[in-house]
Amino acid sequence: MANSIVALRAYRDGLHLIIKPHLSITEIEKAIQEEISRMNRPLNGASIQIDLKAPALQEEDMAYLRSKLKDTYNLTVREFMVVSEEPTPPPIAAAPTTHIITPAVNPPNSRESEPSRIIPYTIRSGQTEDFPQGSLIIYGDVNSGAEVRAGGDIVVLGALRGNAHAGMNGRLSSVIIAMNLVPMQLQISNYLNRIAIGEKSRGYPEIARIGKEDVIIVERFVKF
Amino acid sequence: MGRVIVVTSGKGGVGKTTSTANLGTALALLGKTVVIVDADVGLRNLDIVMGLESRIVYTSMDVIDKHCELSKALVRDRRVDGLTLLAASQKNNKDDIQPAQMKAICDKLRSTHDFVLVDSPAGIERGFSNASAGADEAIVVTTPDVSAIRDADRIIGLIQHARIEPINLVINRFSPELVGNGSMMDQADVMDILNIDLLGIVPEDTGVITSTNRGIPLVYEETSAAAHAYMRIARRLTGQQIPIPDLEQKGLFTSILNWFTRKS
Repeated sequence: MANSIVALRAYRDGLHLIIKPHLSITEIEKAIQEEISRMNRPLNGASIQIDLKAPALQEEDMAYLRSKLKDTYNLTVREFMVVSEEPTPPPIAAAPTTHIITPAVNPPNSRESEPSRIIPYTIRSGQTEDFPQGSLIIYGDVNSGAEVRAGGDIVVLGALRGNAHAGMNGRLSSVIIAMNLVPMQLQISNYLNRIAIGEKSRGYPEIARIGKEDVIIVERFVKF
Repeated sequence: MGRVIVVTSGKGGVGKTTSTANLGTALALLGKTVVIVDADVGLRNLDIVMGLESRIVYTSMDVIDKHCELSKALVRDRRVDGLTLLAASQKNNKDDIQPAQMKAICDKLRSTHDFVLVDSPAGIERGFSNASAGADEAIVVTTPDVSAIRDADRIIGLIQHARIEPINLVINRFSPELVGNGSMMDQADVMDILNIDLLGIVPEDTGVITSTNRGIPLVYEETSAAAHAYMRIARRLTGQQIPIPDLEQKGLFTSILNWFTRKS
């Protein structure tokens, strides 16, 4: 599904439209149309920054894109930027299911070197468990309305029905594993995923992690 | 030494007061001495459900303010031996009472009664801490819907934190028909989430509304399904081993029965 010519990304400072170099304006235009039609929510009225991977577009092409985006999609172009690489801040939202969250602060740890903490009971609505130093292992459920946050992984040996935030210090490789994964919200580092309401338990353990497409993916947990 | 049991739920409108009134009456019918305490200061209802509103002279506030002796504030229910009510003040609000004062009242009542049932207000604030202050056991009332269950879960967490044990669950307004067609959570779902001991299931019964309006607890009526459920719960509270009937299967059975009776 990923568009190889243009990509629409949400960064901390707003929406960016990233355009690959060496392409004709018609190809770019077509790719933009595809990319925008992929969104299930209209971007009407948004302001975007266009990141051009060198070399820059012609002056008249830029003007054409600016008016085209305004007329067709009601998008205001803030500015054109020529960037050499992918911009440095990590993407905070990539798919429509993700939202912009507070930035990561501390450097990520490695899984082996960090401590873990065992919670030998069920965490009920309104209760929270925070363990920024490492991973959390819960010998019970995390009920709807409860919240667990860990610097590393979160493993729930029961049902995860509330909110879980793994990798709260920014470790993107953090995972969330639950015997029954039916959460309200999942967050890994600064990626967030909301599970569709009314989703039923699948009856097998599942693992959530950040996939290749910069979204949290959930799949059957077989082995790590 | 009597047992002080707080009846609570978190969410309002799930049947705390109805359950307190019926369990209190049922325990008295079983020969126990019972006092039911309304802890919903400022929004009292238990007196109405019990049909005792016209007989309240003193409230727990008067006892705390030393306007009267505790024994004088207890309103005796004339329909059954051994049942009394301690009403809440309607003029004050929950912050006018301290948890320690409630505990002192409960401790006194405990020495003269087999059961002290405290009807907690909805919410998790002062009213709840007052109601649970003197309790050694808790009954959590919930209905089988997600919002009530989340609130029940919250309140169970708070009760556990207060080291009140055991905590028993009453599932109220259970509708076998709705469970049957998949629009209501079944018993297993509820127990899976809340994970505490089940004391009983009370089926949905429109008789509750008329009984509340008339001020006559349902347990006086032999015919109602909810009344039978409350009687069974009361027996379980006294230590009798009464199995919890499977309402879900009975629901199927009665719906078939209804289908036949409609045909004929």
